[in-house]
Amino acid sequence: MRGRMGLLHLRINGDDVEVAAPSHWTLLEVLRYRLGLTGSKQGCDKGDCGACTVLLDGKPVLSCLTLARTVEGRAVTTIEGLMPAHVAAGGKGADPVQDAFDRCGALQCGFCQSGIMLSARALLDRNPNPSDEDVRAALAGNLCRCTGYTQIYQAVELAIAEATGKRPTPRSWESAEPRGSP
Amino acid sequence: MLRLPKFEVATPTSVGEAIALLAEAGPSALVVAGGTDLLPNLKHELATPELVVSLAAIRELVGIRVDADGALAIGAMTTLAEVAASELVRTRAPALAQAASLVAGPQLRTMGTLGGNVLLDTRCQWINQSYFWRSALGFCLKKDGTKCHVVEGGQKCVAAASNDTAPALMTLGATLELEGAAGRRSQPLDDFWIADGIYNKKLSHAELLTEVRVPPTAAGHRGAYGKLRERNSIDFPLLGVAVRLDVDASERVQAVDIVVTALAAQPKRLARVAELLIGIAAHGAEFERAVEAVASTAAKQCHPLPNIPGDHEWRKAMVPVWVRRTLRAAAGRGGPVHED
Amino acid sequence: MAARDRHGKDAPWGEFAIVGKPQRKVDGLAKATGAAIYADDIALPGMLHAKTLRSPHAHARIVSIDASKALALPGVHAVITGKDLPVKYGVIPWTPDENALAVDKVRFIGDPVAAVAAVDEDTANEALKRIQVEYELLHAYLDPRESLTRHDPAIHEGRKEGNVSKNVLLEFGAVDQALATSDVIVEDEYTFHGTTHAAIEPHCAVAQYSADCVLTVWSATQITHYVHRALARVLELPPHKIRVVQPCLGGAFGGKSDPFSLEFCVAKLAMKTGRPVKMLYTREEVFYCHRGRHPMQLRYRTGASQDGKLQGVDARVLIDGGSYSSFGLVTTYYAGQLLTGPYAFPTYRFDSTRVFTNKPPCGPKRGHGSVQPRFAFEVQLDQLAEKLALDPIEIRRRNFVGEHTTTVNGQRITSNGFLACLDQVERASDWKTRHGKLPFGRGLGVAGSMYISGTNYPVYPNQMPQAGIQLKVDRSGLVLAFTGGNDIGQGSNSVVQYIVAEELGLALDQVRVVAADTDLCPVDLGAYSSRVTFMVGNATIDACRKLRTELVEALAAHWKIDAKRVRLIHGEALDLEDSTHHLPIVEVFHLAEERFDTLGATGSYNTPELGGPYRGGTIGASPAYSFTAHVAEVTVDVETGRVRCEKVWIAHDCGRALNPMLVAGQMEGSAYMGVAEALMEEHTVNRFGLHRGPSLLDYRIPTSVDTPELAALIVESLDPEGPYGSKEAGEGPLHPSIPAISNAIFDAVGIRLKHLPFTPGKVLAALAELRAHSGEPTLAGEAR
Repeated sequence: MRGRMGLLHLRINGDDVEVAAPSHWTLLEVLRYRLGLTGSKQGCDKGDCGACTVLLDGKPVLSCLTLARTVEGRAVTTIEGLMPAHVAAGGKGADPVQDAFDRCGALQCGFCQSGIMLSARALLDRNPNPSDEDVRAALAGNLCRCTGYTQIYQAVELAIAEATGKRPTPRSWESAEPRGSP
Repeated sequence: MLRLPKFEVATPTSVGEAIALLAEAGPSALVVAGGTDLLPNLKHELATPELVVSLAAIRELVGIRVDADGALAIGAMTTLAEVAASELVRTRAPALAQAASLVAGPQLRTMGTLGGNVLLDTRCQWINQSYFWRSALGFCLKKDGTKCHVVEGGQKCVAAASNDTAPALMTLGATLELEGAAGRRSQPLDDFWIADGIYNKKLSHAELLTEVRVPPTAAGHRGAYGKLRERNSIDFPLLGVAVRLDVDASERVQAVDIVVTALAAQPKRLARVAELLIGIAAHGAEFERAVEAVASTAAKQCHPLPNIPGDHEWRKAMVPVWVRRTLRAAAGRGGPVHED
Repeated sequence: MAARDRHGKDAPWGEFAIVGKPQRKVDGLAKATGAAIYADDIALPGMLHAKTLRSPHAHARIVSIDASKALALPGVHAVITGKDLPVKYGVIPWTPDENALAVDKVRFIGDPVAAVAAVDEDTANEALKRIQVEYELLHAYLDPRESLTRHDPAIHEGRKEGNVSKNVLLEFGAVDQALATSDVIVEDEYTFHGTTHAAIEPHCAVAQYSADCVLTVWSATQITHYVHRALARVLELPPHKIRVVQPCLGGAFGGKSDPFSLEFCVAKLAMKTGRPVKMLYTREEVFYCHRGRHPMQLRYRTGASQDGKLQGVDARVLIDGGSYSSFGLVTTYYAGQLLTGPYAFPTYRFDSTRVFTNKPPCGPKRGHGSVQPRFAFEVQLDQLAEKLALDPIEIRRRNFVGEHTTTVNGQRITSNGFLACLDQVERASDWKTRHGKLPFGRGLGVAGSMYISGTNYPVYPNQMPQAGIQLKVDRSGLVLAFTGGNDIGQGSNSVVQYIVAEELGLALDQVRVVAADTDLCPVDLGAYSSRVTFMVGNATIDACRKLRTELVEALAAHWKIDAKRVRLIHGEALDLEDSTHHLPIVEVFHLAEERFDTLGATGSYNTPELGGPYRGGTIGASPAYSFTAHVAEVTVDVETGRVRCEKVWIAHDCGRALNPMLVAGQMEGSAYMGVAEALMEEHTVNRFGLHRGPSLLDYRIPTSVDTPELAALIVESLDPEGPYGSKEAGEGPLHPSIPAISNAIFDAVGIRLKHLPFTPGKVLAALAELRAHSGEPTLAGEAR
């Protein structure tokens, strides 16, 4: 099948949707500008930053380098899909990864974090108890300019800890001694 | 955002259908596998196809198996992540698994395919830029222009082969299975390249790479890949070194091959390494002396150009270092070599 | 004046219920779930898409522009050029030298020349290719040293200073005499390269022009107020007919402080077409916008006594400004003014000169103007320590400027926790047992710094408050705070929420914040100079205290008790002496509304009179300074020349940490950015004047696997004037990373790196030189 503008049959966050878009549009453009799913961000234009990361059949891919036409019949998960999936599975509120990011200060400007949370979610779905090194490696395709990654790791660690019953490592600024000085 | 040029997309479900589409469309059609190389290039208007033929829906192009003859056969659309993680590849072709594991970042390895990486377009700081950027300096030899900005007065494009997996596959003696309207052919990878950065491969526009075949490796096969890059993720190689070292039961080197990439338009096989290494033990002082000798001959043979971004003098200084480290890694069943 | 009241360091109700503890951010879950709306997420019915045509030449005169073929393209609604927007602007009102679109001349590759609005981006792009521009090429200045001496052709015509953008020469005390009598002198040159912000969100603006002639612009800006002023000036509209809104912002770091071409273009195009217009820059265009850190060539001469006490510092700085003024006037001052702490300079002279070149314009990046001199001086201080055989931390302690004092250039220092910062990093890094004693190739380095919490120099001089806030109290129990402050991810809206909840005894979910909308919010000068927490925080307390008085009075009257017995906490009102008295706060709102009518309050903040009594003395004069010390640990691979920063201990005196988690995030993010500038990033042009690699592939910012371990150590020297004693945390903690790394490299392998960035090539060259110098086959430190 071929055509310049056509009806796409996509499976987005569990829903089958039909949407018309020019054939040269990327998945990111269709998500943002046709479906209003603007949680997937555009940062670099061409696959260098990871802000547009979505899950394709559960694996993180860059939607800015994915032609929308080529993912027909495959399951796309965007950041907007995490909370509804969590709620549908009996949970309350945001997905535990999203919630941990909020509780750890990992969301500064937040722009890159949709992609990062999806990379983290995919990792935890695949391996509920990853090592620190696994976490760093899994996030190595997502640039963050605000955090220095530290609070992102802490958020992922918190999400792992709460799922596995482990205790997260205390943070450098939480030392027992008072922070005070003069 | 930076837009793709307008084109139609076809999503054939079989190789035959894809070939028919390509044959019908002629040179105005391009093939897309994972899209991680082609799409940025299209956004930069390095090509303006009328039709893009996606191989994403062709199931027969995906998979890793061992054939009856012991050869490892990897479908062209197998992702780099799958190649890197495959036990079959890790045990039979460690340099390939290592090279695949170091391509770009995690998402791009999930999208990018082995076929796509082998066929990666050459790269240069003067070409992998937007149309506006390239227009500001009057374009260049590789596309839309007549001048080379790397070599003053240069008449031949020196954009660099930047495909991590190709040198690894060359050390493994790999063959490409190609299929076109005229039929199938097997193409040894060694003889696949052309020393021209504009288009560096012997592949016609209507041909598809369907499979990469790696002949059975020796019992004492050792391999490693070393990648020099500025960041430990995402980046293309500033230098890539693939090593094959076959040893016998007493750990003596039986065969050796070293291929270096990210220098010029095609990967480069180092000469004179066999005479320096064959017959000696793959460890100890004698091996170390040989490694030094190989490193210094590598330095004489490799001449990085200021084609890809970064300090080419430093890349040159790193040739012996990376050759040394990758050789040692191969001998010690280690690798990949990338962290400093 | 109420705005200058001090509110004290203490908790409003005895102890803090919210402040000082990790809390969620007011917008955290919206960001986490993808619900937060950023500029490019806005889509309005009938919206057109605009694109910019840019100059392919570094310096040229525009002979003619013919847009007729573009206009003829179906789907193109308007094309504008410099003729449509002829009024010049600039973020500093004294140096308006920018046009939204080039008039007559282009000054760098990427300078905007024309803009097109069309039905979609593809059509707009196609139209750009059909605009014909004829240029007459001019000599392009790429080397700032050339701009110092050559002025023909001038980059900006009609200036008596030619290509010199600004010069500041200030001398405090008899420097030459002090240096002449010093026991030891260190003199050296340093280079700071250019770097850029690389916020992940590209610039984007959307404009709508209504039938009643109100222009609304949504823009990814960090200073709504200055965009508002600039739009009124350039579009020649009354300010009350313009509304500027900052949606959720995807990072800024100073890079969204100037008014930018796209804001004027979307506005003009919306007015011209009667349709909403959006412009989203490509990543490449963001690099051309730049306004990043100025490259500087710095020469320092420092004299000290035998015991390491500084006697005099003499500085000469050449600043490469790129093609426009931007904040350059301030940069030129900051390059000298902000160096006079945390160490006492008995005498000091600086001579800073900013020149124009035909490169993307530089501006403010996190630690504006002071990161470069700080790098040079902290390396020089290490050289001094080496010469005097003093421990690098010790020499810094000995020169401590003190607290509640005045610097040599007349800056008032209030609280100062710098010594505690040094103690913290010394202890955490195990400095005493490890510095100078680690195996060859591994080393520790220290550096210190100070930074401003806003300044008393308002860009537009006036007597009105720098920060204003309004509170609206709802019968539902909700308090809405309206602030002009710009939350750029640093959490300033959250700070407002915490303070309102703390002051009025509310639960966090009873406070929501409306920010950075010029129609709805009182003026705040925006997110720059690390002013927001200090100034908006104080304004918030000011408003809350007025409102609190009414709430308490109404309740005390209702319970017929003394107002002193009332306590508001966690959404409840209590009587401290009678436990049967308690009410939900919403009922107190009702009581107060019955007594006082509709409830609300305003609050504001302005700085006290500050600064030295000389021209420029207020620039860099801050109501409070933050202080920082870092220890960096590096490993150096002597075979590859690669420096790896393994860990940074960051001790930062931010006054009271209103939310220590957010403070730590600022500290870690700052240190990360500094490490990246030291080792990886370089914003530079090639021989054509063309940006070398305007992409996030070629401008390499660290990934997760390239970033060192970062340990934030918070020091709280409660400030007498900050909100609850708080100071800044967003910019100061960047400064020491860079010199600390240079100093750590010296500890590791004995080479002194003075020219940024510390690339492997430079490291190998320095190692080779060291070997040649020592005349020995091995390095001096290898014996360790």
